[in-house]
Amino acid sequence: MSARGYEGVVACCPVTEPYVRRSDHGAAWFLAAVLRRLCAAGGLAKAAIDGLCVSSFTLAPDTAVAFTQQVALSPRFLEWLPMGGACGVIALRRAARAVQAGDAEVVACLAGDTANATSFRDLLAGFSSFARDAVYPYGAGGPNASFALIADAYMRATGATRADFGKLAVAQRANAAGNPLALLREPLSLDQYLAARPIAEPLHLYDCVMPCAGADGFLVMAEDRARRLGLPGVRILGAIERHDAFPDDPVQLRGGWAVDRDALWAQAGLAPRDMQVVQTYDDYPVISMLQFEGLGLCAPGAGPSFVRDNDFTIAGTLPHNTGGGQLSQGQAGAAGGYLPVVEALRQVLGQADGRQVADARRALVSGFGMINYDRGLCSAAVVLGRAGV
Amino acid sequence: MSAGARGRMSAGARMIRLQRCAACGTAQYPPRAFCHHCLSDRIGWEEADALPGRVLARTSLHHTHEPRFRAHLPITLALVRFDAGPVAVCFLTGTAAPGDAVRVRRNEDDLLEAA
Ligand SMILES: [Zn+2]
Repeated sequence: MSARGYEGVVACCPVTEPYVRRSDHGAAWFLAAVLRRLCAAGGLAKAAIDGLCVSSFTLAPDTAVAFTQQVALSPRFLEWLPMGGACGVIALRRAARAVQAGDAEVVACLAGDTANATSFRDLLAGFSSFARDAVYPYGAGGPNASFALIADAYMRATGATRADFGKLAVAQRANAAGNPLALLREPLSLDQYLAARPIAEPLHLYDCVMPCAGADGFLVMAEDRARRLGLPGVRILGAIERHDAFPDDPVQLRGGWAVDRDALWAQAGLAPRDMQVVQTYDDYPVISMLQFEGLGLCAPGAGPSFVRDNDFTIAGTLPHNTGGGQLSQGQAGAAGGYLPVVEALRQVLGQADGRQVADARRALVSGFGMINYDRGLCSAAVVLGRAGV
Repeated sequence: MSAGARGRMSAGARMIRLQRCAACGTAQYPPRAFCHHCLSDRIGWEEADALPGRVLARTSLHHTHEPRFRAHLPITLALVRFDAGPVAVCFLTGTAAPGDAVRVRRNEDDLLEAA
């Protein structure tokens, strides 16, 4: 049975608490800052928010539940979404369903994390029971080690080269030049990319994101509610999620998008060629290539030729990670899963000052999260369209 | 594993152990309290001096998040698929490349080492 659509619901008010390299503030400070920004952007009293989705790694030991008391909010719909790089797409999807069902009228979706000298290491050491027991003791490479193994297998299977990965990283850095929120805006050349020091071969410095602190958020509400509030909104034309797809694959050369992409495009009534903007979860460029393949932008295994055939800058054939992605904006923990959503909302709303893609009516957003052991378990995607298009 | 448990096991120390479900025969790694396939909790262990497998992918770590590993960089790791089925992250010694057959042992730190 095909899933119901997401008619009658819009996402609006993408906001960001600017990323910083390190912070003395806790995660709750960042989440509260985004909530404050959402109230201001929506022209809403805090009490008008009756639904809440929260994602954070460094909020521990607290969860979304504790956060409600910290900010004195009384939602009747509450989601705690520990899906890492897929949490933004999944929050949007869950929030939209809650609004459709009448379980909430206005849902605030938030993700954010702090970063200090020890927070990242502490997070990695205890990331999951499998990671703690069967990955981290092997040199404590963190996600770099796990994704290096995936990248090595992908390169052998597809013929991808470092220059292919580099093309994505270099294009994203060029896009970041127009984004005042990006932490890394100085130009990056392919030669610089190729000459960078190795981190976990075949991954080198510019394949890896820079951990930082920050937060992102957006609102989800009924389309007529947004209209009454005078808020421009973005429609959800299709959305999917999948967890632990293909458990029998010995090494991850595909994510769960392959299971659900036909349902996604059928629900949207659109095809990849109808997208003016694509945002992927770029913890490493190789993972963006898995998303191109998984979502049908190219055939399985054809990621390298797809990269060679396209220009991923703002004015290119396929504007991709138009704010610079995590590779240039930084990875603010769980906010990394929101960043592709927030950037796509800005593009479709025409609010991407300095990096606006011309006529960006529709966008594809993809999420990928949680390398529990040897692979990322959560995959999700959403097709967004400007209301009225 | 506690120091006491390590002592009690010293006779069989450095044997590599892989879980196998007594109900359906599925092998699995990392260990857990139930069979991922049939969900039975009748889990047995197979022990051997070394287990055969094949390298799926390899990496050399030039960066670590733990000071205790810094002196050992670069550290070479492999993703190894045991012939019995499961996949494990292992230290890799020697020159085995992806596609090559290896044997996986348990080292003195209780960690897997492929060669
Ligand atoms: Zn079983």
